[in-house]
Amino acid sequence: MHAEKVNHDFEPKLVAFVCTWCTYAGADLAGTSRMQYPANVRVLKFPCTGRIDPVFILRAFQKGADGVLVSGCHPGDCHYMAGNFHARRRFAAFRKLLEFVGVDLDRLQFSWVSAAEGGKWVEVVTELTERVRKMGPMAEFKDLELEECWSGKLDTPELEEAYKAIP
Amino acid sequence: MNETAQKSETSDVIDPAAYASATAAIRAEAKRLLAEGLVTAVIGYKAGRRSGTALPTIVTDPARAEDLIFTPACVNNLALYLTKAKKDVAKKGKVAIVAKGCDMRALAGLMGESQLKREDLFIIGVACAGVHAGNGERSVARKCRECAVHTPAGADLVAGTVPVMPELTPVEGQELARLEAMTAGERWAFWKEQFSRCVKCYACRSICPFCYCEQCLCDRNRPQAVESAPRPAGNMAWHIVRAMHLAGRCAGCAECERACPMDIPLNLLNRKMANELKELYGHEAGLEAKEKGPLAEYREDDDQSFIK
Repeated sequence: MHAEKVNHDFEPKLVAFVCTWCTYAGADLAGTSRMQYPANVRVLKFPCTGRIDPVFILRAFQKGADGVLVSGCHPGDCHYMAGNFHARRRFAAFRKLLEFVGVDLDRLQFSWVSAAEGGKWVEVVTELTERVRKMGPMAEFKDLELEECWSGKLDTPELEEAYKAIP
Repeated sequence: MNETAQKSETSDVIDPAAYASATAAIRAEAKRLLAEGLVTAVIGYKAGRRSGTALPTIVTDPARAEDLIFTPACVNNLALYLTKAKKDVAKKGKVAIVAKGCDMRALAGLMGESQLKREDLFIIGVACAGVHAGNGERSVARKCRECAVHTPAGADLVAGTVPVMPELTPVEGQELARLEAMTAGERWAFWKEQFSRCVKCYACRSICPFCYCEQCLCDRNRPQAVESAPRPAGNMAWHIVRAMHLAGRCAGCAECERACPMDIPLNLLNRKMANELKELYGHEAGLEAKEKGPLAEYREDDDQSFIK
């Protein structure tokens, strides 16, 4: 009955920021309906997509996420009337900023998943997992995290030259 | 960017004499306002100790109105003196402020965010053709090369007339286009290199008229949102967060870039975000106070092609 388990070389870590009213319930529905989806996703529950700060996404990447999913209620369905409308604008701007800084936007997925769309949740998570798996680990932010102060070098030719120039 | 070419092409194109009429008008108006008791203070510029420099100053005595000047060295955005960070200035009552076009945009933005009231201000606008890149520098600032607000409309008074300027190359626009043409990896390498110089002195935050939060998100440490040490990860996060928090609010005065001791081209990020928000939501920082910025309002039919 279950699909054959495949052993992959790389299992991406995904972080999903979801709203409690729609997508969290949708994911719950997928679970209670016994639908199968990749276990790569770690779900974090928020009151609303409007509560999800771009800083959370940065932090997720820094701490080792290979992909991030942000998901909430469809426009017009927000429990707080307009949270997802505000979030939509904020993330549209944030995407552009990340793109300008040089982050591959294929690692960042936004979606609307309602409480009734367990199937769509499975589809979104599967698609993102497979896409990120193909892309490989997200190295940029993790490398930064490992790097130390500046270049760390105190004996560069430029500094030596500057030092010698001091009268 | 070829800095030597830029310097030789533009060295000293702004003649300080061109602003003589503006200086005279500012002095006369400041004297009148203070003598008649219409304002308690005038926030303006005075000459620095070295020739060719200027300092922000606050004049309260009509006899000292003669100290006020306007020259190409008047680079500061004085709107900063009216924000929450400098509460005591605004508390003194109605004040007059000398504002260039870009400063005027900052004032309009602050009014839109209910940080200032128009009736508490007397705005002495300056017809400005451009200022120097910094105190003691002789080249025209990058922001001034693509300025769209030489005359600050909506001010209570516009001092002087805009002197005729030679055609300037839009250095910043070219740099932006160059970055946009790069691949994502190249852009990442570019910004990584730039941000690696950051020493986290937060001069960009201190000088920004829009960074008036009582407690900055980036100073909080329980839980910590952005690492505070000047390490690459924290630097990258700080600059992304800064650009994000200014998106749709930034007035484009480029003070962050001028104040930066490490010469990080911060205004490129600001401009990029301004361009994107104009494209997405038709918003532009202007001279009129708007009640809501592009990220504080929404439309039901906003673009959502990026959302699955």
